[in-house]
This record gives sequence, structure tokens and C-alpha cells, in this order.
Amino acid sequence: MNVARISNLTVRYGNFTALKDFSCDIPEGCTGLLGPNGAGKTTLIKTLLGFVTPASGRGDLLGLDIAKDGKRIRQTVGLMPEQDCHIPGMTAVGFVALAGELAGMPQAQALRRAHEVLEYCGLGEARYRNVETYSTGMKQRIKLAQALVHGPKLLLLDEPTNGLDPAGREEMLELVRSVSHGKGVNVLVSSHLLPDIERVCDRVIVVMAGQLRAEGLIKDLKRITGQPIDVELRESNSGFVQALSGMGVNIAPPKLTTYRILAPGTPDEIIKLVMTAARQSNAQVRGFSIAQRSLEEAFLDVLTANQ
Amino acid sequence: MIELTNASRWYGQVIGLNDVTCTIGPGVTALLGMNGAGKSTMMRMITGQIRPTTGDVKVFGHQPFANPEVYKHLGYCPEIDNFYEHRSGRQFVHYLAKLSGFSESEAKSKTQGVLERVGMAQRADAKIAGYSKGMRQRIKLAQAMIHEPDIILLDEPLNGLDPVGRREFINLLATLADEGKTILVSSHILFEVEQMTRSILLLHRGRLLATGNLTALRDLIDKHPHRIRIESSQPRDVATRLVGLPYVLNVQIDPRGDGLEIQTREPGQFYDQLPGLVLDHNLAVSGFSSPDNNLESIFRYLVEA
Amino acid sequence: MASPIADLSYRNYDGPLDPPALRWWVIARAMMNLNLKRRVLWLFVALSGWYYVGMIFVLFIFDQFAASTPAFPGAPNPAKEFFGRIIWKDQFLHGFSYGQMLFMAILLTIGAGSIANDNRANALLVYLSKPISKLDYVMGKWFGVFLPLLLISSVPALVFYLYGALSYSSYGFISSDPWLLVKVMIALPITAAIQASVIVGVSSLFSQGRLAGAAYAGVYFVSNFFTQLMKGTWFGLSHGGGGVPMAKSAVANLFYASFDGINIGIFKAILGTDGSMPFGIPGNAPAVPRPPLLPMLLIGAAISAVCLVVAWSRVRAVEVVG
Repeated sequence: MNVARISNLTVRYGNFTALKDFSCDIPEGCTGLLGPNGAGKTTLIKTLLGFVTPASGRGDLLGLDIAKDGKRIRQTVGLMPEQDCHIPGMTAVGFVALAGELAGMPQAQALRRAHEVLEYCGLGEARYRNVETYSTGMKQRIKLAQALVHGPKLLLLDEPTNGLDPAGREEMLELVRSVSHGKGVNVLVSSHLLPDIERVCDRVIVVMAGQLRAEGLIKDLKRITGQPIDVELRESNSGFVQALSGMGVNIAPPKLTTYRILAPGTPDEIIKLVMTAARQSNAQVRGFSIAQRSLEEAFLDVLTANQ
Repeated sequence: MIELTNASRWYGQVIGLNDVTCTIGPGVTALLGMNGAGKSTMMRMITGQIRPTTGDVKVFGHQPFANPEVYKHLGYCPEIDNFYEHRSGRQFVHYLAKLSGFSESEAKSKTQGVLERVGMAQRADAKIAGYSKGMRQRIKLAQAMIHEPDIILLDEPLNGLDPVGRREFINLLATLADEGKTILVSSHILFEVEQMTRSILLLHRGRLLATGNLTALRDLIDKHPHRIRIESSQPRDVATRLVGLPYVLNVQIDPRGDGLEIQTREPGQFYDQLPGLVLDHNLAVSGFSSPDNNLESIFRYLVEA
Repeated sequence: MASPIADLSYRNYDGPLDPPALRWWVIARAMMNLNLKRRVLWLFVALSGWYYVGMIFVLFIFDQFAASTPAFPGAPNPAKEFFGRIIWKDQFLHGFSYGQMLFMAILLTIGAGSIANDNRANALLVYLSKPISKLDYVMGKWFGVFLPLLLISSVPALVFYLYGALSYSSYGFISSDPWLLVKVMIALPITAAIQASVIVGVSSLFSQGRLAGAAYAGVYFVSNFFTQLMKGTWFGLSHGGGGVPMAKSAVANLFYASFDGINIGIFKAILGTDGSMPFGIPGNAPAVPRPPLLPMLLIGAAISAVCLVVAWSRVRAVEVVG
């Protein structure tokens, strides 16, 4: 079941073609939207919301046509924009309730639901204060709240952790993760912070120069063929390298104190080899795990592979 | 290089910095802290925009406040985004180069050089009003570098850059650090800071909470013993063996049944004994790592305390 | 059996969702609620009907005099004379025109920030991500200015009408012009609509309510100054005796070339009066004749249309290039 299906979409701003013959399927669940600046991510989001009319191609979002049913789409989609935005002069509750009413909720329901959503986003008594007095972290939560208030089936988040300090980022990512897993809300997160996406999403879509470059499960993108293993020592030790090579293990030059090795067998077996080598060379092994590319590395690989 | 001695600064009743003493030398140092911890105050003090209310700030032995001599050695890349929007990036950097005292021809060549270094040589002739966030960040860095200062201070420099841009920026900073410059970077994105440096300065509510090397700091956080996650197909067997060791404080079985986690204040001892346990006692271990040996965890532990 | 410990984590909203119609009313309502909380607005509102209040007082006094028997038969009764010469429809004109300054203040209070504040707070990004269209937004803002303005200008007029109809029908209040109420209730919405369009258009040009208000006030006062000049010129021309009649009527019409002027001109034209002395003060008022109705309406409509088109084109969410 796909949340959105896009076929051969072309979007132009005057002479500039932002999306070229773009086709992809956005599955259910939590998906990350990656791509360098100017690749067309924002354009894609705007087109999905029905703001921009495509020059050609079509798209289906939750069964609605993006070219024609813009308003109905915006009723089932919530957008958390990247830039700071709010409606001036209102308290948080007033603002979120108004957002709900604008989405079509009856007035009483909107207020009730605004309180519920603000509670979920972690705003206690502060909800009765004017939004203009809020700190960055609170403003981000309000943006999330106004996107969730009408119970959207798809949540579009644009740089949700922008400007947040480490604790704030933790909390925001937790919120996003818990709303996307198990609550039936599909989420599309656009962000440059790849570890954030790793934390929250299961799949990614990579957009570059207006076209789809890669898509798939994060686990799959991170996997390295051959299952190499990262061994971390307390300090570099040439004796260790020699001992391991002597056992027929392929060992790469270290990054700081981490060595990537490739050997046949299961991790249980390989660890015995590593421990033997460590004993022989008096090295202290501080880590032994299956090597994975970080999402960032995988992403950079995708970008450079296509240049 | 940069010395703060009991430096404090307050704004009315609000405290910015409270009795901070530290030294910042060559290389990349990360300035960390929650929002409102005093990072911007500290940067502004070092760049001479404000004076400490009490205490001392010295850059190369001189007070930076309103001191053009010191400014020659400082480059500042602030967080805010105010430019002359109708000018092009090149014109902006050129103008600032002239302000630094270069002649017209020198300024021109230096501008070109620095624009190439930050990767904006192609795009610098368009008006700034049309620039994306990433392009603006690069222009900011260009103007901070153009007079080849010995100290560069950057406030949230990676904001708005895409992963490629980030990588380039981090590499550029590493190169500058290798040239012997002092680089102070303030950022919230901890996993990136980790890639830039191991030496940190952590501020909390205006006070200096921690300085120094990451790994050294980790060892000092007594309240949170080191956590070591062990992957194993027979976690309970491994647990039984490990719980008998004197330095193991805590053993927790992962409900998924694929591993366990131990806590210890003596990780070194554990790692030394591990080969023996695996080889001689056939402990069924298929992997291990320390989940809280990173900057994010250290930050969290230090700040929540 | 439901669990005794409630699950307070996020739950989806499955309640009713209205189809996307009438969103403009939501925007207008929110705007009005916000404006109602401003105390200075109530002050202006209270003051805006001052002519009507004063006139009611004057009428009441004269009514008492008129009711009392004269000192001796045949003696002149100033009260009766007063009621003889009073032109009822002009009272509405005066009520409207003497309140113009306050209506302007009210217009600025409720309208100057209407789109300008949204520009500053980037609120359009929130609005446009909901199932509303630009039309809803502009209409909502317009209505949020139009409706209060209409109410504020109508209520005193209606109260006065009621008072007059009940107490002074013997003096020809109703008979002098049976359609008076209808004319007033047509003129008020038309002028309110023009004013609302202008302020919404001006507001959309700025990012600060204050600047928008200052811009509007600037045009208001400069054009007023101009029209006072026209009035002076007109006097000169009419008392000078000679003068080209066409010049005289051109100048007379230019008297209405200001924000007030358009309002007052349309009001005069619809009511069919040239104006007279206020409060029934005796004498022949040097009142500039009313302008022709249809051209005034067309000009008013054109100005409103231009302002609304400006607002329409200025309403767009933030775009990031590159």
C-alpha cells in the first residue's frame, strides 16, 4: 500500500526545471527524503501539497490527485515547515485550535484536540502564553502541533530539529518516532541531518537534480557486502595487524584506532581469531561489531556514484 | 592564544557567563552547551564586541574589546544572517577585504582565492538575496578567512548545509587547523562536532562545566558507569559468567534475547579479561561495543547532573 | 474491558471534518476575536458616534422647549423654528462625516496589521498548508475588517434613526424622506467595503502593521490637505461671482478626492443631499455640492479592485531559491 505514487512528474519555475520526469512511490511508514540543496526536495513537497501545478505527469496522494484535489489533500496532510512561522497575536492553544479549524474541524473539537496535541508535544502551562514569547524549541513543537491537530494521515516534516539544542533534538526525534510507529500516521521527513533520519525513519528516498537517485530501506543501504567487521583497539598496534594477517584475515589500515577486517566465517568464529591476535600482541580490544556504513556515507556514495 | 580568567558577564539580572576560566589553543575546539548556556556571550567577548563585567579576556595577551590590533588576528563567522542583500557575494567579501586594509588589487586576488577555497567561485556573482542558506554560510566563512587570521570563531557554521557541503566545510576546517590556526566552533549537532575534534568546552547555564578531551571526560563521569553491549546468542550464559566478575556492577538482558548489557567502572579491566573469557572459557560472544562512548551521551550525562 | 490505566499517547483524530468551504469565515472570526480584545478600539468606537449623541441631546433640549407653551401668543418659538429648518437626512451625513477621523483610527487599528503582521510572522506558510485557498484568505481578512467597520458605523446611525422615528415623526422625520433608512443602509456598506479593500491592500504591502498604518495615514492626511485646498478654491470661485462654471464644478468634485472625500461623496450622492450646517445651526452652510453618483461609485469600485488585486498578488508563502 503506497501513501503516494508519483509518475513522470515535471515541475518548472519559469525556465528552471525543478523536477524532471520524476517517478517514485512513497510507501507507508516513516520515510526520509534526502538530497543536496536545490535537488528538488522542497519542490516535491510543495507539489505533493498541491501548491504547484506540474507541467506534466501525475501524482496520487492517499488516493487523491495532486493536480486537482489540492484542498482535500491538505485536509489529510500536515506540514511542519522549516522556516519559523506562526499566526501573530495568539496563544499556543489559540493558534493550534485555529489551525485545526482551518483544516475543517468544528470549533469545539478543534480546541479540545489542540490541548491534546499540545500535551503530546510536551507543552504544559506554556500553552497559554503568546507564541511570540517562545524559545526556538517551543516554536518547533508548536509547528509540529499545528501539523498534527487535524489528525493527518501523512505528516510532512521539513528539518524538524532546526535550531534545537541536543536535548531538544532528542525529544523532537522521540516525538516523531513515536507518532510514526504504531499510530497509523505516515511520515515523510526531509532533513540534512542524516543521523536524525536514521533514528526516525525506516526507508529513504534520495533526490538529486530533480530526479530520483535511490530509494530503499535504510538497513539495506547501510549494509556492506561481505560483512566486514570493525575492530576498535585502545591504541594502534602493529603486532596485532601482523598476527591477524598471519591468520589469513584481510585487514585495512586503521581510521584512528579502528581497523576494518574481512574474514570468512561467522562473527563468533572471527572473534576468536581477533582475541588470539590480541593476546599475542598485548592489544586491548574495545569494540567488535559488524561494520555498517553510516547513512551519511551511503548517501555520499549515492551522490558521487551518479556524477 | 585565547585566555579567559574568571570572566563573567551579565545583562541586567540575566547571567550570560559566570566565572569562566579557560585557555583555547591551536586546533579545533568545540564550544557546546544548551540554548542559553552562554556560548554566544563567550564568542562575543572573544571577538571584542562586549566586555566582561568582571574578570579578564585576553587574545594573544591583549584585550580584544575595541582593539583593532586584535581584530586583525580574528575571524568571526556569526550565526545571524544579515548581509547587504543587493550586493553579490563577491562584492561583499571584496568590501570586507578592503576594510581589513588590503589594497584594491590585493583584495581582488584574495577574494578570488578565498571564494575558491569555500567553493563559491562559480556562484559568487549573483546577488546575495537569491542565495540559499548553504551559500550564505560559505560567504560568511569566506569573509572570516580572508585576512588569514590566526583565530577563527564560528557560530553554528553547518546550519543549512547539505551533507556534501558539511563534509567540505569540516575538511576545510581541519585543513585550517593543520595550518596551526585556532578554531572555535559552536554547534548543536553533536555527531558532526565529533567528526571535527575530540577537545570540547562545555558551558551550562553560564558556567564552565567541562573542558578537555572526550575520552578523558568519559572516564571521569562516575555517576554513569560505562555501558558495554555484548551481542550473544546465549545471553544468559554470558550473563552468568560475567556477573561473577568483581568490577561488573550491573547486568541487563536484552528482552529481544540477542544480547545483554553490562555496566562497569573499570572498562579497561573488562577488555583485558575478555580474550581469556572468549578463548579459554568459550564464552559465546559475537560482538561488543560501548553505546555511550560518544559525545551525545557524554553531553547528556554532564548536563543532566 | 477497557484498561484502568488510560493510554495518553498520541491518538489520531477521527472526528468530523467539514469540507473546505467557508474557511474565510474562520479567518474573519479569528481576526475579529483578536481585535475585540484591544481596548483602544473600544475607546474609538465609543467616540465615533459623538455627533449622534450630541444631536440627540440637542434635539431633546429643543423638543422640551417646543413642548412648553410660549410666554405670550404670537411670540416666536425658536424651538419650532429649529425643527422647521432641520434637514433630517443631513444629520446622518454629519454623523457619518464627523466620525471619519475616528473611523480612520478604527480602520487602522483593525486593518493595518491584518496582512502585514502575517507577513512578518510568516503566517502564510501556515495558512496555505491548510485546505484553504488564497481567495479564502484575502476574503477572510477583508471581511474581518468590513464587518466590524460596518457595525461600528451602522449602530449609532440605527439608534439615531429609531429615536428620530419614534420621537420626531411629527416634525417630518419619516415623511421628509421615506427611503432614508434604506439609503443610509446602502451607503454605509458601500463605504465600508471601499475602506476595507484599501486597508487590506495597503497592509499587504508591508511587513509591519505600524508601517502600513503610517502609509495609509500619510495618504489620508495628504489627500485631505489637498481637498481642503479644493474647498478653499471652490469658495473663492463661488464668492468671486464669475469663474468658469466647469472649473467650479471640477474643483467641487476634486473636493472628494481623498479617502474621507470618497466616503462622504458617496454618502451625499446616495442620500441626495449637499450638506448643511451641523446641529441645526442657522445659516446657509457653504457646502460643496454633492458629486455625481455613478462616477463616484465607479471610482470607488476601481480603487477597491486595485487594492484587492495588490493584496492578492502579495499573498504568497516564502520561497527559497537554490
